[in-house]
Amino acid sequence: MKSPDQKLQERLLLSRAVPGDRLMLADEVLLAALNGTQPLSVGELAVLQASPLTLRRFRHLALELRRAAQPAAANDAAWSGSHGMLRAAASTEALEALATDDGYWTLHFVPEGEDWQLILALNPAAPFAARLLRERPEVRVTDGGGAIVLQGQLDSDGECERSWAFPSAPAEHFQQYGAQFSVAPVSG
Amino acid sequence: MRLAGTRYQEHGWEQVRKLLGQCSLHVFRQCTGLLAPDEMLDWYMEAMAVALSANAQLARGEAAGNSYGDSVAQLSMSLLYELQVQPSYWDAFMIALQADYAKQGAFWLNAAGEGALRKKINDMFATLRDKVDSDNYQAATGRPCSPNRIYTYRMLDTAYHDVAQIFANWEHNAAQVSAIFGREVLAMPIEVRQMRSIADCRAEWIIRWSESLERFRGTPGPLHTKSKRFASLKNNAEKIGAMLREIGEYEAISANLDLETWQQDHDEAANWLEDYLRVASEAVESEVPDRILPPGEEDEDEPETGPAPVAEAPMSEEARALAESRAAALSLPLRYIEMAAAAQDAGSWISRTLRDVSLPVRLAVYQKLLGPADDSYPQEWLDPDTSELPTVQQLATLDGISVPTMRKRRNDAITLLQAVPRTE
Repeated sequence: MKSPDQKLQERLLLSRAVPGDRLMLADEVLLAALNGTQPLSVGELAVLQASPLTLRRFRHLALELRRAAQPAAANDAAWSGSHGMLRAAASTEALEALATDDGYWTLHFVPEGEDWQLILALNPAAPFAARLLRERPEVRVTDGGGAIVLQGQLDSDGECERSWAFPSAPAEHFQQYGAQFSVAPVSG
Repeated sequence: MRLAGTRYQEHGWEQVRKLLGQCSLHVFRQCTGLLAPDEMLDWYMEAMAVALSANAQLARGEAAGNSYGDSVAQLSMSLLYELQVQPSYWDAFMIALQADYAKQGAFWLNAAGEGALRKKINDMFATLRDKVDSDNYQAATGRPCSPNRIYTYRMLDTAYHDVAQIFANWEHNAAQVSAIFGREVLAMPIEVRQMRSIADCRAEWIIRWSESLERFRGTPGPLHTKSKRFASLKNNAEKIGAMLREIGEYEAISANLDLETWQQDHDEAANWLEDYLRVASEAVESEVPDRILPPGEEDEDEPETGPAPVAEAPMSEEARALAESRAAALSLPLRYIEMAAAAQDAGSWISRTLRDVSLPVRLAVYQKLLGPADDSYPQEWLDPDTSELPTVQQLATLDGISVPTMRKRRNDAITLLQAVPRTE
């Protein structure tokens, strides 16, 4: 998607004569702002805006991240499993949801009194979604320690619901087991 | 040579340089005296854009300018547009031009003077391409780079190719090969067979090649000339080696070029602007010091800020009727202004910022910054005869103002756009 105004805005941002312009912010700083892990300070934003070259680096990194997030085009109907991580920022609050890195699965945590209800949901935009909705295979969510968090057959909405079976709260539990989880089809 | 982010460093550059030179000579034939540098730049940009598009379909213009799929004409056009982003290169050219003009008048109008003009044009674009590519490199890699460093990469690449040529013919160049290896070579050296790319070329070979070049060719090697340009490099084998390997590694990676990714990049303005606006909106007041990179070797100047905006009254009904009669006189559709206005994105940041600027001036802004033809332009903006935006002359007539006033208002509008914070 592009319009002449977006292109012109881009041109105005990036193609300005700023004598002595140089890279003003490190990649780590730009990436953390893009990922949402550490926002820019007001001063850093001002520096970014005043430096077309740093903005071009920002653009490059933003597009790279977006491309990396895109599913691979080849063999897109195949799915052998997806992985996700507990974000550092998420651990400080009650955990509401976790998504796999490829964005194809979300694990929702719905509080029910003292307990939690778990809902695994398939993103209908996933390249293999049509096949999974048709075949409705059994899927399994495991934590970083390999313990089964949820297992069951996908329903026609691409969801699978179970109650939380561990003594500690979801955020704490995932934190304890490597802050990771995976979703995979149950083979056999 | 291919290097991350760069566009103007491959063989096609020779043709780009020639096309820019040829078109420049052509447009200067219509120039009998000099104006102020910024007025001259406006004139040059417009005349060159016409001359280059006339060449786009000819053999030289259509030839490949690099391995990313840019033609010679496209690269020439994009470098021309860089000239207005980096006007200091134009200003340096104008100073050289004015110096000769003061002595000899419009020297470029006679055959003998054309060569002198061509050389000045060559110098301007040759230095500009290294500036543009050093910026491209920095954006692509996140590592600092100067135009000088790009020049050094290219020198090393050329040196490697010369060494490879000498090695390929090693039987006939035994003495020179011996000098490069620093030992007597009697049989086919194993290194010759092992050197498959620039990444395998050793820094010492380049240094000894340069050192001995005067002996074998009569001209000193680039590391050993009287000029101080590469003086520090000849004692720095480590730096040379790292640069050789970097060129080799990038060439290996880019041999499987993903043209689609490259071209996709051009169309993603909307995507990254979204990220930019989000990051800008998330910025916070912070207690800790800003994490700003320290400057490298090069000095930095204060960023420029634009002067105050210039406002203009919106067009009245009467003016619109007048514009319609002018459109008819220009063989544009009668309701050109009305239809072109309706085709604008009224809600965009550009439209809001330029709300007090007339439509012809606005279109001149697009024309100056994106070129007369861009596939993002709505049909309603184009002159049906040329499938391009109306020319500056036509736009001036549409607005009922002179061409210099049109240029001034257009430039003021660009300044206005550059002065407003872009975080909405």
